[in-house]
Amino acid sequence: MEYSLDRNIHSLLDPRTKLLLLFTSSVFVIGTAGEAWMKVFYWMLVFLPVLLLFLEKEWGFGLISIAIYVGSYLAQFALQHNLNAVESVLALMLFIITKILPTVILARYIVKTTKVSEFLTAMNRMHVTDKLTIPISVIFRFFPTVVEESKAINDAMRMRGIEMGAKKATEAIEYRMVPLIASCSIIGEELSAAAMTRGLDVGKKRSCIWKIRFRFPDLIVILLCLACFIWWGVGRFFI
Amino acid sequence: MEKSNRLNAKDLINVGIYTAICAVLCCAVAMTGVIPIMMVLLVVFVPILTGIPYMLFLTKVKKFGMILILNVLMGALMWVTGMSYYALVVGTISGLIAEFIYRGGKYKSKWCGIMAYAISGIYCWANYFGIFFNADAYFATRQNFGQEYIDAVTGLLPVWMCPVLLVVDIVCGIIGGWIGTKILKKHFEKAGIA
Repeated sequence: MEYSLDRNIHSLLDPRTKLLLLFTSSVFVIGTAGEAWMKVFYWMLVFLPVLLLFLEKEWGFGLISIAIYVGSYLAQFALQHNLNAVESVLALMLFIITKILPTVILARYIVKTTKVSEFLTAMNRMHVTDKLTIPISVIFRFFPTVVEESKAINDAMRMRGIEMGAKKATEAIEYRMVPLIASCSIIGEELSAAAMTRGLDVGKKRSCIWKIRFRFPDLIVILLCLACFIWWGVGRFFI
Repeated sequence: MEKSNRLNAKDLINVGIYTAICAVLCCAVAMTGVIPIMMVLLVVFVPILTGIPYMLFLTKVKKFGMILILNVLMGALMWVTGMSYYALVVGTISGLIAEFIYRGGKYKSKWCGIMAYAISGIYCWANYFGIFFNADAYFATRQNFGQEYIDAVTGLLPVWMCPVLLVVDIVCGIIGGWIGTKILKKHFEKAGIA
């Protein structure tokens, strides 16, 4: 039986394309494969995630991340030679920000625009086993939860006067870790109960209400990614 | 139903949850790597801290494959977040070994669990391969940290440190696992989570 929605295409890009883009971005932006040879592609990969965010109408987050990126990029030029210890730690932090931020934005875009069922279906089409796709989707669902919980626990502990860097470091760590892990594992139990109800365990082929197929924007992004790898290969092995 | 040896959704979700917790802890600790001496001490702190969630995870492991999947995912996360693929390769192999060790203890022996944790944790050590074997390329991308940082890190990590770090990693893994079992006993068993 076919169901239909008003808008049964959920986001601009196919989940598979998004993953390819994430992989390309982590190789060339974080990994900086190819260096100067890849300059043009490097900048394309840096700005594409923000563009994607704007297409999803996330103006605030996009503008803030551009501001942070440009700011730390320019600050790096100021901190380049003859550094003392503090400055070099600062430079290192700025460096890490400029390296990681584009991929973080991309990851946020992906998490924001991909439904879990979409992801599972797309992976299923690529014949990736459930044993990897289910944990991966749980991880992405869980990262924000872990961070949120740890913030809340941190606040509670500060109220009780148990601070990081106090006399008893072991105590400070124990009193944070134990509640964090306990609450996460309880949330996990609930999550698996919810998954059972939705029939994750039945073992039959799952259907998906969103239409998943490659369309024109996918073509552009995939070509960009392929071009990156080919150009890198040319630079690496032929020149 | 409990008898079947195939991994069901509940097991896989558990793997996902504990991978996420371990990854967040690793990230939080690894941020301190900007100070050169901490860069080396990561191999001490990461195994000790992730010991607690890992030992709780091991109490939920009753089937073959869960430790392996956790290690593969951790390795993949390390790769995506900018360490090299060594962690993935080493993590897969060590995960398999750990899997066999823990299975040797029928999935409930405490010391087999601690050993399994110590062995599987060596993906943390694998992240240093880039510095040891390919130092020029490693620092070429980090030129703007200032020469001092590079000198400090390379000074702390000559090639002979490589096996030393492995031993340190495993010993700290054992310590971390032991602390983990203590904390399990102190908190989680009472609360009925473990």
